[in-house]
Amino acid sequence: MKKASYFLVKAAFIVTLTISFFAASAQQPADTLKEKLDELKDRVSGIDERLLTAESDLAKHNKIKISGYIQAQFAHFEIASANPSNYFWIRRARLKATYEAADGVKFVVQPDFSPGNLSLKDAYVALNDRWTKTFVLYAGQFNRPNYEVEYSSSQREVMERSRVILACYPGERALGAKLEYKPNALPLKVQLAVFNGNDALSYKDAAGTSVASVNKDVDNYKDFMLRATYSLQLGSLGGLDFGAHGYFGGVRANSTTSLHGDYSKIEAVKLGDKLNRSWAGIEFQFFADVLGGLSIKGEYLFGQNATPGYMSSAVKTSSFSSVLKNDTLTNTTTSTSTTTISPNFLTKFNGYYVYLIKNIGKKNQFAIRYDYYDPNAEIKGTDAGVLKYTDPSNGTVTTSTSTESTSGSQVLINKTITNTTTAFSSKSGKADLSYGTLALAWQYYFDDNIRITLQYEMPMNEKALEGKVVDNYTINNVPGTLDYSKVFPQNTLSIRLQAKF
Amino acid sequence: MKKLIIISLTVLVAFATFAFMAPEKITVKGSDTMVILAQKWAEVYMKKNPGVGIQVTGGGSGVGISALINGSTDIATSSRPMKKAEKDKLKDRYNTLGVEIACAKDGITVFLNESNPVKELSIKQLSGIFTGKITNWKEVGGPNTEIKLYGRENSSGTYVFFKDNVVKADYASSCQTLPGTAAVVNAVKKDKYGIGYGGAAYAAGVKHCMVKKDDKSPAYLPTPENIKINLYPVTRYLYMYVRNRPTGANKAFIDWILSAEGQKLVTEIGYFPVK
Repeated sequence: MKKASYFLVKAAFIVTLTISFFAASAQQPADTLKEKLDELKDRVSGIDERLLTAESDLAKHNKIKISGYIQAQFAHFEIASANPSNYFWIRRARLKATYEAADGVKFVVQPDFSPGNLSLKDAYVALNDRWTKTFVLYAGQFNRPNYEVEYSSSQREVMERSRVILACYPGERALGAKLEYKPNALPLKVQLAVFNGNDALSYKDAAGTSVASVNKDVDNYKDFMLRATYSLQLGSLGGLDFGAHGYFGGVRANSTTSLHGDYSKIEAVKLGDKLNRSWAGIEFQFFADVLGGLSIKGEYLFGQNATPGYMSSAVKTSSFSSVLKNDTLTNTTTSTSTTTISPNFLTKFNGYYVYLIKNIGKKNQFAIRYDYYDPNAEIKGTDAGVLKYTDPSNGTVTTSTSTESTSGSQVLINKTITNTTTAFSSKSGKADLSYGTLALAWQYYFDDNIRITLQYEMPMNEKALEGKVVDNYTINNVPGTLDYSKVFPQNTLSIRLQAKF
Repeated sequence: MKKLIIISLTVLVAFATFAFMAPEKITVKGSDTMVILAQKWAEVYMKKNPGVGIQVTGGGSGVGISALINGSTDIATSSRPMKKAEKDKLKDRYNTLGVEIACAKDGITVFLNESNPVKELSIKQLSGIFTGKITNWKEVGGPNTEIKLYGRENSSGTYVFFKDNVVKADYASSCQTLPGTAAVVNAVKKDKYGIGYGGAAYAAGVKHCMVKKDDKSPAYLPTPENIKINLYPVTRYLYMYVRNRPTGANKAFIDWILSAEGQKLVTEIGYFPVK
């Protein structure tokens, strides 16, 4: 009995020990597992926190967008006066930074880094209205509201804008403010802009000196633009966008005479008076799904342009002579002043362009553009170089004064002769001739960022009378003449590689 | 010379034959809402047409439309209409307005956790919730707890559609951004006080909220009948976009999608046929 009890107790002891041992062993891995889980949880929380910080930083960086493009080009010029007749150049090298400061507030800066021509293109702030979401206010330097002006140079199918647009909106951008209205329910856009004026004016006097005071159109006369466009859906045929715009501006008179484009009508104005620069334009863009994309675009502009004249400072020369005859001494002082006057010039102009653009597959595109610009619609080509205005008051006016004094038998005469010469004439010329230009272009898109363009441009000048409008040039000491009585070769073959990002 | 002509002709014929035999490839990219549907379409169509290869990827409606504009996809799927700015980019690049093809109908479902006692919300209340003006469930008849918002990224057509038609303002900054409706559903499933939105096809394990146009109107669930007859207020079309009028393999695929066979798959996935 005692032995059985002993064995029972021993067995119970051994079983208890064994159970305790296994329980302890099971507890150890569970503890380790819990620790590991807690450690992992802490790590994940830590990563979560870092991720939130990174997301917040990324959100800030996402507000800044950098884009740009470079256009490297080779051109061959057929015009005889071109020297050199072919070269490589960087046409545009733009970098655009856009920063979305807050919801609905955008800053844009876009310089152009073309070699030898660093300039600021865009610098403006755009404020979107948060309430109706239909208005946007721009302030700064930005594109003037016109279709071809606003159509990006990186997208345009023909290398350069048409002549009439380049003449009306040189530099494309201007300083001012613009309000855009785009209602949500209608495919309508209305733009109202006010600018300092035409800051890219380029005007030189007879000596070829830049007349700095009129090169910047900064005066009390602000220029206004109003443009409205509407988009129509034409069902399965495609769509038609159409619109019109008006430019209402002026430059200040820098000469006391204004001459009209017919070289006969003249009017007297005061310095600083407003010379009207006003025109209107109608535009359309038609898109059709015909064997791939096809579009036909056009615009017609007409109105009055104005160029301020100048009155150059008088040049004075004087001479002195003294003659003794018998007992009379005559001292003569002669002075001559010359004033050259160039009148302000007011011309009626018109111009248009038409594009036909055809996409062929995803990567090829073919474009034809014809554009026409008549800078002076008041005269014909045969009048250029012939019509001239000479002010009837031109010539030299001589005034003379003299004083005489006597001392005994000697007589002293002091004579003063003043010659005042006014030169005022304005002659028609090359700048009055119209141009029609046909451009053929083919582009290949390697991808959305790289494209190559091959273009052949054929400008054709209006014909003047023989010998009346000529350009003389010298190449390597060999003189030459371009006579505008003929349509002489002035075509350009260009190839451009564009990289955009 | 004769040998050269024979060799050239042989090579040309070989190329032509190879081109004829080479599988046609169609790329489809865009809406995450439609990615399962598009994959199903592709799978079934490729089985019937072994000479055609169709690649389907998501990324969001915005991503798909950008790919259409830059030429890297043939078909863009989108759960929202194209924006004017996108159409302008298509015009500039391809001189076309693009072709919009409605291929299915969807009701944007508002997801609630199954334990949330709130059953119905009006459009105005949904707008208040997702703009952050309403922050507590008690303001809409629920418990006294903070509302947790789950939504999509801004490249998503669902994000844009919900914003334009329901929220009508900016989303609250507290709204969490998730990559896909499935992720939104998962988040709401795990969060008792969460609310999210997305395509009807993904809603499993969460409660559908009844939606009413205004306080006076009746509330409706996003059921097939309610969506078909436009009773459910948040109904939308799902679209395919192509650059030009479709031709060739693209046209055959799109025609099949719009056929009875293609539309049957729409119902199977959980959306609704376009007609």
